[in-house]
Amino acid sequence: MQHYNKNGINILLHKSPSTPRYSVSFFFKVSKKEKYNGVNSILARLLLQGTKKYSALELANEFENECIDISVKAKQDYIKISLIFLNEDFKHAMELVKDLIINSTFDDFEKEVFKIKGEIVSDLDNPKMKLTDTFVRNIFKEHPYSSCHTKILEDIDNIAKEDIIFAHKQMLEAEKSIVVVGDYNNEQDLIDFFANEFPFMESKISENEIQDVFKNEIQQDETIWISKNDASQAQIIQGWLIDSFNSPLCAKYAVMNNILGSSGLSSRLFVNLRDKQGLAYTVRSQYDTMLHSAIFNMYIGTAPNNIQKSLDGFKDELQKLADNLVTDDELKGAKENISGRLKYFTQNNSQIGAVNGYNYMMGLGLQYNELFLDDVNNVTAQDVSDMAKRLLSMPKLVTILAPDEYKF
Amino acid sequence: MTKIIKKELVEYPYLSEPLKVFTYKNGHKVVLARKESPMINVSSWVKTGSINENAQNNGVSHFVEHLLFKGTTKYPAGVFDRTMEEKGGIINAATWKDYTFYYINIPKEHFPLAFHMHADMMVDAQFPKEEIGPEFNPNGEAPSEKRERYVVIEEIRMGEDNNWRKVYKNLNKSMYENHPYKREVIGTKEIIANISQEEIKRYYKTFYSPKNITTIVVGEYDENEVLKLVEENFVFSTDEKIQKCKTDKKKPEIKIKKPKTVFDYSEVNTGYIMIGALCDSAKNLKETIALDLLSTILGDGKSSRLYKNLVESQDEPYYYQIESCHYQFKDGDNFFIEANFNADKKDIVENELKEYLKGLEKIEEEELKKAKKRAKVNFAQDSEMVSDIADSIGYWVTVCEDLNLPKKYLKTLNDIDCKYLQKVAKKYLNPKNVSVSILLPKGENNAAL
Repeated sequence: MQHYNKNGINILLHKSPSTPRYSVSFFFKVSKKEKYNGVNSILARLLLQGTKKYSALELANEFENECIDISVKAKQDYIKISLIFLNEDFKHAMELVKDLIINSTFDDFEKEVFKIKGEIVSDLDNPKMKLTDTFVRNIFKEHPYSSCHTKILEDIDNIAKEDIIFAHKQMLEAEKSIVVVGDYNNEQDLIDFFANEFPFMESKISENEIQDVFKNEIQQDETIWISKNDASQAQIIQGWLIDSFNSPLCAKYAVMNNILGSSGLSSRLFVNLRDKQGLAYTVRSQYDTMLHSAIFNMYIGTAPNNIQKSLDGFKDELQKLADNLVTDDELKGAKENISGRLKYFTQNNSQIGAVNGYNYMMGLGLQYNELFLDDVNNVTAQDVSDMAKRLLSMPKLVTILAPDEYKF
Repeated sequence: MTKIIKKELVEYPYLSEPLKVFTYKNGHKVVLARKESPMINVSSWVKTGSINENAQNNGVSHFVEHLLFKGTTKYPAGVFDRTMEEKGGIINAATWKDYTFYYINIPKEHFPLAFHMHADMMVDAQFPKEEIGPEFNPNGEAPSEKRERYVVIEEIRMGEDNNWRKVYKNLNKSMYENHPYKREVIGTKEIIANISQEEIKRYYKTFYSPKNITTIVVGEYDENEVLKLVEENFVFSTDEKIQKCKTDKKKPEIKIKKPKTVFDYSEVNTGYIMIGALCDSAKNLKETIALDLLSTILGDGKSSRLYKNLVESQDEPYYYQIESCHYQFKDGDNFFIEANFNADKKDIVENELKEYLKGLEKIEEEELKKAKKRAKVNFAQDSEMVSDIADSIGYWVTVCEDLNLPKKYLKTLNDIDCKYLQKVAKKYLNPKNVSVSILLPKGENNAAL
């Protein structure tokens, strides 16, 4: 992947010979707080709901008649428009995406709000979604990262079309980049094309309002119970706010996470809680990094009468990592597993575009994967133990969804 | 050592060279597909799943899938998982109605070890009692020793909390009279809690025979190296004395004999509906493609008939999610409409959606053109990554039992016209011949019934 800048536009190119489909993504960094929870999510939806030239339905037809797959996602730190299409449809796809970025009318605002409300109610029928929603909402408290389904539902009736138009203006004034992965002929032609046709993608640096996530850090252990009386399984997430990719601790946490519960079928949580104790079908740990914070969490779906046993299991596994240095073999295996997973998840054009585009947008640079793997290779057994100790010393949030009769 | 009795080259779209297909004297097939990639994929597809089960052992195919990871003579439980994942591999398996498959995606430099351990697991699974866990009464006290048997029961429990799975389970059961497809692949808590090690081994010995297994390698392989590894590692033991498992009669059912509507109730805030029809076998390539096209036209994307008319064109839509889909099976496909809706509309959604099935008897040229392009793109997309290619080959070999179908796919697709699509819709998607499953919030009982 190479970075070019022409007319202030950041263009990232990666040539993938003999591939039939292009992946093109447009990244817009989010650096302003939303006026209400859900503004950026509604904006993302409305970008596909009609322009000055096309109604929502006509736009859908234009994309789907040519099998141009498009998605618009609003994440904590960025809004991303992604397209995947056959090489022959490059020009048409770019005309359409240009139109929706600059000419969206947001006329379907009321209808889309109505749809979103219904979809959220429907999503929250899913116990795991309800659990995650509660966890995110409570771990980030008042920080913008706490924007979740239930918060959006609370705020959505306060949002006006003007708020969306304002958020769109902010999106166009943000730091931006275009990421292209495909079998193109001439690099310079592509750079010239975007410089001439997409002048509104000129990147602008603005002050980042979203900071200080640790101000809201949980102060003491907290447990939240969600009643679901007809649930067959209890669902548990236990988590902490920790350092993210901009910290030297990132690689250390990543290795610890891999050993504890993210390597697959051989992680400690999997072997000891699932294989040896039969507590669960799904049990894992996860390290989710964002620009201003990260979440480390452990998840299990278990029989409701095993809630305490599962929480004890989480604690025991972390304690074992803290108290006993991992063996050289286990450490080496974790490092290779991280490296192999990175290869696995960067195989096709859209995966290559997603990973590199994200790294660039977060200010990590295009060599980040290699640098990260270097850091991973330098992690020691003592580092793994230290990270487990850090977690054990920090207040945690536990969220449990289960029938009330199992409440303790 | 078993000999190769046949070597074929089979054209496969979007790959730089034909597939190499080796058939061994014992019936084991090996398929090699070349694809430039830093990863290599090794998988074995076994022609067994719930199709080979009966009311007494329902769920055994899936349980065996779990237990294949629990140790061989050479490698005790856990060694395979740890070794492969320490080399950067991604390993897993899946069981469905017609097949069970096991795979490894791993950086190519570790291919020989991956192949060796994969083959070892396929031919020498030991099913140790201590890994299976003790038999117990699922309605009584849970056993103190909870091993893989309990893991599967947790998986069943997880499914019970999944609203779509509830709806699908009820619908699937209502569509069939006798065919084993009517049962859930995962089985029941009662059967899993009580199935014996002996029965599990009997099932394995019956269905994990060489003629039932196709091993697929996709990536940058060395042919001689692979063949040597096959010879050295795919050494099947035969046990003629073992009593083979009996299976239910598998007479294909391609039309629902007694269409019905079934209801269920749960702690949900919205309604869920699935409408299902039975169709001919996936081996019938032209009809299967036609059903894919009909599914695209009806319910794939924002410009599909269902979304366009019931969501996009409504000021206050009461469907939150709506789509159609087509599942391919050896003994007859399924065609579904599924929708999540405002439960206040429970009295109208069934008939409303059935009208859209009826509407498929008229197809416009523009719709066909769009659906064909989607089919072509999906077909091309299946060749992007080594794992996608392996999955596609596994499907053609196991479900369709014909690796020559992929090269006929694009021509067959091109030959389909509106008239043919309408004929297929009329044949299989008549609203009078569908079953319906509805899940509603508790307390909606009286109104719905």
